[in-house]
Amino acid sequence: MSLDPFWDWLANTDLAFAIGATWWFPLLESIHVIAIALVVGSILMVDLRLLGVAARSYAMRRISRELTPWAWAGFAVATITGAGMFMTRPAAYAANPAFQTKLVLLALAGINVAALHNLAMRDIDRWDTDAATPRTAKFAGAVSLVIWAGVILAGRWTGHLN
Amino acid sequence: MTDLLANVSQAIANSSVREFILYALTNVPGLPPIIQSVHICAIAVVMGSIMFVNLRILGLAVPSQQPSEMIRRLLPWTWWALPFLFASGVVFVIARPVRYFFNPVVGIKFSLLIPALVLAATLHALSRTEPEYWEITAQRRGLARIIAAISILLWLSVMMAGRWIAYADYLFWPES
Repeated sequence: MSLDPFWDWLANTDLAFAIGATWWFPLLESIHVIAIALVVGSILMVDLRLLGVAARSYAMRRISRELTPWAWAGFAVATITGAGMFMTRPAAYAANPAFQTKLVLLALAGINVAALHNLAMRDIDRWDTDAATPRTAKFAGAVSLVIWAGVILAGRWTGHLN
Repeated sequence: MTDLLANVSQAIANSSVREFILYALTNVPGLPPIIQSVHICAIAVVMGSIMFVNLRILGLAVPSQQPSEMIRRLLPWTWWALPFLFASGVVFVIARPVRYFFNPVVGIKFSLLIPALVLAATLHALSRTEPEYWEITAQRRGLARIIAAISILLWLSVMMAGRWIAYADYLFWPES
């Protein structure tokens, strides 16, 4: 099944034309960058706590509870602005290897979060307020940092290939 | 002033450093997006430090953390992001000096960045004089809130302007 007819339709919507041919595109792009900085900035603080290198006097659960909603809010804005840019040339983006890599990395980030919650966070009561964190937590934090740096790189590379 | 800019940008344009950087940017596969990603990662660090400090002062984020303590703990991250931002940004300025020196958005970006840095330095310096400097009186809490609100607007504008520098090329020199 080819998605080409759908990409064609999408690229020919009034909204796609409005974004592609006006200042809307750079506006969405700059909001996209700010949203990504919010996602990665808040996740960075959680990851550094998971690694046991920053905010060591704060409980892990509290750090996570107070920062995760900001990461999700940023992610929602990034998704909406990203979709706006995507629809201007959907077939080209879908075939863009950097963009494909970015989607794979985002899926891996999701798997990493799920693994974190099912492994390290399951016995959080035992280490919540400890400055030092268990090995599973450190691993999830380190993996997250690498994945998000990769998401940023793949995202920026997307623009150079399109 | 325009003469000075013209002379400096010409000097850079004729330098061998520029020749080397331009060669590297055009011949090393992926070098431009890699350097730009360093810039964006450092912007994320700014977001995860001074911006969250500002959001905390305004009572919008991380309620369990105390503002003055947060400032002392997080602002060093903001300062450490700066050399990375500078190094990853200046590469592109050296590669195309004339374009950047005469791009009005560059001027806007830096005239917003400087007050943003001054406000961050003010929060940081005063927070080191007393453990609860920014909490202790109503006036200081009010002042901190004003600083935080202005700082958020400045940083968001700096980030927006950064992205618009590339588009100013099309807006001001559509023929080139």
